[in-house]
Order: sequence, then C-alpha cells, then structure tokens
Amino acid sequence: MVANNQESEALPATSAVTGLPQKRFYRQRAHSNPIADHSFDYPARPEDVDWRSLYPNIGNDQQVKFADIGCGYGGFLVTLGEMYPEKLAIGMEIRVKVSDYVVDRIAALRLKNANAATNYQNIACIRTNAMKYLPNYFQKSQLEKMFFLYPDPHFKRAKHKWRIINQALLSEYAYVLSSGGLVYTMTDVEDLHKWIVSHMMQHPLFERLSDEEANDDPITPKLYQSSEEGAKVVRNKGDHFLAIFRRI
Amino acid sequence: MTTIFYTEPELVLGHGRKVLFLNPDDLQIFKDIEVADDLTTCGLKIEAADEGEPKATCTKLEVSILNVCYSPDRQLIALTTAGQKALLLYKSRPEHALLLSARSLARASSAITFAPDSSSVLVTDKTGDCHQYDCVEVEAPPKLLLGHLSIVYDILWTPDQKHIITCDRDDKIRVTNYPATHDIHSYCLGHKEFVSGLALLPGHEQLLISTSGDKTLRLWNYMTGKELLQQQLPAPVVRLQMRELISSKRYLLAVLFYDHVEAIGLYELELKDAVWSIAKESLVRAEAGNWNISNFALTSDRIYVAGALNERLTLHVYNITDGKQAESVPKGWLNMVMENFAGQNCVPDDLSVWFKKRYDNISDYMERKKRRIEDQHQQQK
Repeated sequence: MVANNQESEALPATSAVTGLPQKRFYRQRAHSNPIADHSFDYPARPEDVDWRSLYPNIGNDQQVKFADIGCGYGGFLVTLGEMYPEKLAIGMEIRVKVSDYVVDRIAALRLKNANAATNYQNIACIRTNAMKYLPNYFQKSQLEKMFFLYPDPHFKRAKHKWRIINQALLSEYAYVLSSGGLVYTMTDVEDLHKWIVSHMMQHPLFERLSDEEANDDPITPKLYQSSEEGAKVVRNKGDHFLAIFRRI
Repeated sequence: MTTIFYTEPELVLGHGRKVLFLNPDDLQIFKDIEVADDLTTCGLKIEAADEGEPKATCTKLEVSILNVCYSPDRQLIALTTAGQKALLLYKSRPEHALLLSARSLARASSAITFAPDSSSVLVTDKTGDCHQYDCVEVEAPPKLLLGHLSIVYDILWTPDQKHIITCDRDDKIRVTNYPATHDIHSYCLGHKEFVSGLALLPGHEQLLISTSGDKTLRLWNYMTGKELLQQQLPAPVVRLQMRELISSKRYLLAVLFYDHVEAIGLYELELKDAVWSIAKESLVRAEAGNWNISNFALTSDRIYVAGALNERLTLHVYNITDGKQAESVPKGWLNMVMENFAGQNCVPDDLSVWFKKRYDNISDYMERKKRRIEDQHQQQK
C-alpha cells in the first residue's frame, strides 16, 4: 500500500489528455467527524469572507445563492455552474484532499475555458465544516438553493447527531435560506431518505414539493446524472431517492 | 463544579452534594439542600443508557451538583447533578426546600435558566442540545428546543420571553425566537474563541454583553446582531457577572480570567450622550496562583470567590472598591461556610478544554502535493 502510494505520487496529478486533475491523487475515506475540532480558518462573520478570492469576477452587490453542502468531488457543482451562469454557487466539503481536488478542478476548468462562454467563474469550493459554520459564511435569507447529495448515512444511532440533516441543523438551514428557497436531498440509502423526509416534514419551516413540482424542476434530471456518487449508483442500477423541500 | 451567585438577600453556594443559602452579613444560613447520594431513593428513574454509550455511566458514580438556579418568582430552585445525571426541582418556600421532582438527564448539563414567568427551566448540555422542562407538570418529559453543534456555556431568556439567547464553544451567540424555536432570529458573530458568558442590560431592550476566550468583552444589539462596543481584555474570560450601578446608565461587568496573574477584571460600562464606553476598569488579584479559582459572585460591595485549595472548597471575599480582602465579613463566617463543605472533595475543573485544539491535518498533505508537482516539473524537463 505504502509503496503504491509513493509510486502514484511521483506521477503527474494532472491528466495530459484533459488538462484536469486526476481524482486518484485525491482519494480519501468517505467519513469525517463533523463534531471534532479541525484546523479550519473560518470567518468570524459573513462580512469577513473574501469572496473575491473565490470569484475573481464577482459583482459588487453579488452574493452566493447556491450551496452544495458536502460537494464531494464537485461533479454536480460543475453542472450547476453550467446551468446557472448568472448565479454564484459554492461547494463546501470537509475532507482535505477532496476539497483540494475540487479547487484544482475549478482552476483547471477556468484556465481551459478562459475564452469560452462557460468559463466556470461562478463556482468555487471551500474546505469547511458546513454543520458548524454556515452562519459564518451566509447572511440570513441569503441562499436560494441548498443541495445535500449522497450525505454520509452515519448508520449507528449514536452518530445520528452527525447526520447533515437533523432537527437542530434544519433551523440553521432555514436561517440561511430565503423564503421560497429549496433544499434538494438525494441518497441511495432508503432508511436515510425516510429519516430526511420525516425530519424535514416535522420542521415547521419546510414543506415537501409534490412529485409533479419535483419532476418539473430543471435540476431534477441533472441530480440523477451529474453527481459522481449518483453516477456510481446509476451504474450499479441501485435505487436513489430524491426529495425537494421548500423553505416556507 | 462550584456554583456561586447572589440574589438579594441570599448568597447561594453549591458544591458536591450541598447547596447553602447564606446571609452574607450574618452567621445565618437561610436554608440548605443536601442531595441524596443515590438519587433513585428520591424518585429518579434512570433510563436505559443510550445505544452506543457505555452502560457504566448510569451505575454508581458519585452524585455532585453542577448548576443551581433560582426561579425569577423565587418559588422554585432547579439544580442539575453529575454522576447520576438529573434535574432536581425544589419548592423554595415557605420554609425549607421541598423536592418536587427528579428527572433524569441524557447528558450532564452545561448551563440552566428559568423562564421569566418561572413556568419552565431550560437545560443545555455538552453536545449543544437545549431541553425545556416544565415546572407545572413537574414530571413531564422534556422538549428539545434547539441545538448547537458544540457545548453551550451560557443561556438566557429575554424578559419579554420572546427570545432565548445561547452561546457556544464555536464562537457563536445565537438568538432564537420563542415559542417558535425552529426560527432563528439572528446570530451575534465576531468572537474568535468560545463565548463563555452572556448578560442583558436591565433598562435596555436588545442590548447584550458577551465575554469570550478571545480576550474581548463585547456589547451587541442582539436583535440585529450588530456589535456596538468591543473591549480588549488582558486574558481569556471564563465567567461573567453583571450588576446595575446606576439605573439604565452604569453597569459593573465583572469577569473571571483564565490563567491570569490578576484573577478578576472589573469594568464599568457607561452610557453617556447616547454613547457606550468603558468608564473605569480595575483588576483584582484574588491571590491568583495560590489556589484554583473556579467561580465568583458579586454583591453591592464585595466579590465572593470560590475555588479549590488543597482539594478543599475555599472561599475568599474581596472589596469591589479596592480589591483587598474584605475585613467587613463577619468573624467566623468563612469558617462556618467552609466547615459545611468539609469532607467533600474539591477538584478544580480543567478549563483548558474550552479552547479549540488546532491540530493540523493540512500541512502534511500540502507538502506532499508540492513535492509531487515539483517531481512532475522535473520529469517534464
């Protein structure tokens, strides 16, 4: 294992063919303890965030409107950037190597598409603990859409507080979302899906979109395609469960 | 943990299994509470331990008092215990405290407070959950009102009962609407370490004082989350006490420092021509270094400091005016108090765990990545 690692690290991390970073250099185990202390540099207040360092072309009054929480390798974030060129989207990922991959991937995409119509200037990724620091980044009612795609299921009951959807955290999501804003959740674990739906339904500030509404949302088909976890599940012909909720 | 606070005319001191309600100017004990060494004998039903938690936690562990709180109408006393984790509710009048109920807590408490109308009590814990316990239906199970992602160090309820304000180890102050606690009204953000204490300023709606491990004391409008004043302090703060000096105009803010040669800081906050400022400040040494100070209380002229000396609960009293040992304390008073706690071990809390441990899990990775990129360039040459 060790020898293998050293060997692979001597290889170029950027593909000669695509010019994009190769994921195999950024692999990391799927779980991270969201309660423990990490060495994050997080802003004390939303006013302290240097958004221009993330979005060089950001307008003076422009704010991030979409947040992909636990964005993983950023597959869906990239799609989101392409679908909504006028909106700023942020990916938040707690794992060091994975978030670094997304940062490198976006940098490579921007370089490669510098003169193209879609130049990926509207997406960015930060390494942070979204469970703890959302109010440090976003003002009240700032966000229009939040995505929780294939979150860590944390099967053990003792670790349910680590789940990204739980009763206490929903109030925090409701705080950063504007009225009418949407929360998209997707998982391939049926029990987690049921857990998410029951917690969201119990929360007085969220209501579930009807199947019709969900199907009419242009994002819905993309959710089945563009997340890497999703692609894996599709390949494995597994079930996946989508639920969309509206901030009342 | 040692609890000490003053509500005229009683100085309340809780430690081990005992709470004393003292007259600070007389050798008189208004009343006392002694908690049973096994709370199941007074009605505590210990629920089966949560899955994944070691079963041993609910067996024989020495019961000790964590937090003590008086209801605003002075009719009730709430206290929480460790060992057998429980919330005990007492009726304080007419004579001696009468135990009304013993409800089991899932986790040890970190702070408690009563509702302004004394109808319920809030208990927060180390995981950041805040539960509400009814004081009318004294056996009723708790309601989960809100949750932080780290330990909550202080909690208070605004007098109009419309907001609950909590502060945590993740540098946050959160203002939650009540009774709609699913709706967060605002955050007061700006602290860069744990927030240890909160206080409202009587006579000024919407104003809040906070203290933190980041060596600052701040004044906020908690409705807007806006910071109005920031005072640099010589050391991190672990406890805050507030006293109104001149109605709506001048307030004494007293803070206990973490690991500082002068244990206590006194700051007079003043409103003059619509501007808030710190008009006066002084430090009280309180023999810091010679003993382990854990808590303190303020009366109109004295500072009561509690701590551990040779594993015994010890109390010292200082004048607010000059910071010297108070000579005016009745002779034999301190001995009387300390004798009451003789035989109860006093081990100081380790407050260093309040600070975040910054363990580095990035430098290594970045260093390896840098090397990899350099190697890549070499190969290309």
